[in-house]
Amino acid sequence: MSEFVKKLPLKCPSCDSPLHVKKLHCIHCDTEVNGSFALPLFVRLSEKEQAFILDFVKSSGSLKDMAKNMGISYPTVRNLLDDLIEKLRQIEEV
Amino acid sequence: MNHMKKKLNLLWNPFIRIAGYQALAWGVVGCIVSIWISYLSKYHYHGLLHFGPAPKNTLLCFALEHLVVWLVPAILFLLGGFFFSKSRIRIVDVFGTVLFAQLPLIFMNLISLLPPMQRMNNMDFNLPPMELMNQPGLLLGIWLALVSLVFLVWTLIWMFHALKVSSNLKGYMLGILYCVGVFGGDILCRLLIHPLYSLL
Repeated sequence: MSEFVKKLPLKCPSCDSPLHVKKLHCIHCDTEVNGSFALPLFVRLSEKEQAFILDFVKSSGSLKDMAKNMGISYPTVRNLLDDLIEKLRQIEEV
Repeated sequence: MNHMKKKLNLLWNPFIRIAGYQALAWGVVGCIVSIWISYLSKYHYHGLLHFGPAPKNTLLCFALEHLVVWLVPAILFLLGGFFFSKSRIRIVDVFGTVLFAQLPLIFMNLISLLPPMQRMNNMDFNLPPMELMNQPGLLLGIWLALVSLVFLVWTLIWMFHALKVSSNLKGYMLGILYCVGVFGGDILCRLLIHPLYSLL
């Protein structure tokens, strides 16, 4: 049986605003930290987008290598990157 | 099942996998084959969307027709992409994908080689309707012309994806630029190709 993986919710289910972290908990010593912490930019991306960024870093930023490894054309990879850049800009503006 | 879906996706949009110099190389090979078949069948490209017989049947004429039908929409796509896309566009992607997108037209040219299509090319369509209907092979010719239409539609779908992938345009801008490239391109192609028949 596959292991159940919880997905980190990024948006408020009620009003669609980005969620903040209110409480952090240490599972070893039971320490709790309270506050209001914004989620890092990277975490706010989908799993697919995060994987894309990791691939980009692993291939030293070479889109040609990425295209080769992913088995897709160069402009398709470049378009994915451009769409991601646009999404990051939008997240930063919010 | 997944493998099948991937293959069908490639038939729908090959440019996810192929673009740039690779697409250009395949396109050039396809274009040469297409010129040769057109030369044999005497089936001319009057524009991007118009085909049929013409007064000049030299190999150069067929080659220039193919060149115009490739370059005109590609240049329109490129100019539109440069002005409206936020992405950096590679010229080789635009020219390569547009030429590759015209590969299905080879099948259309092959159909035009078949005897009923050849007979239809030589038919006098000014005949009275009843007499025209009695011409041998007319019905088969019409059916074959309809099959050819499938390959033209296939090319048009690929040209849409060629523009989409090479320029990363989306939404209404993609639609407008595609219409300008294809329908405006067809008019421009006809204007450029028509004088060839008197010049060559």
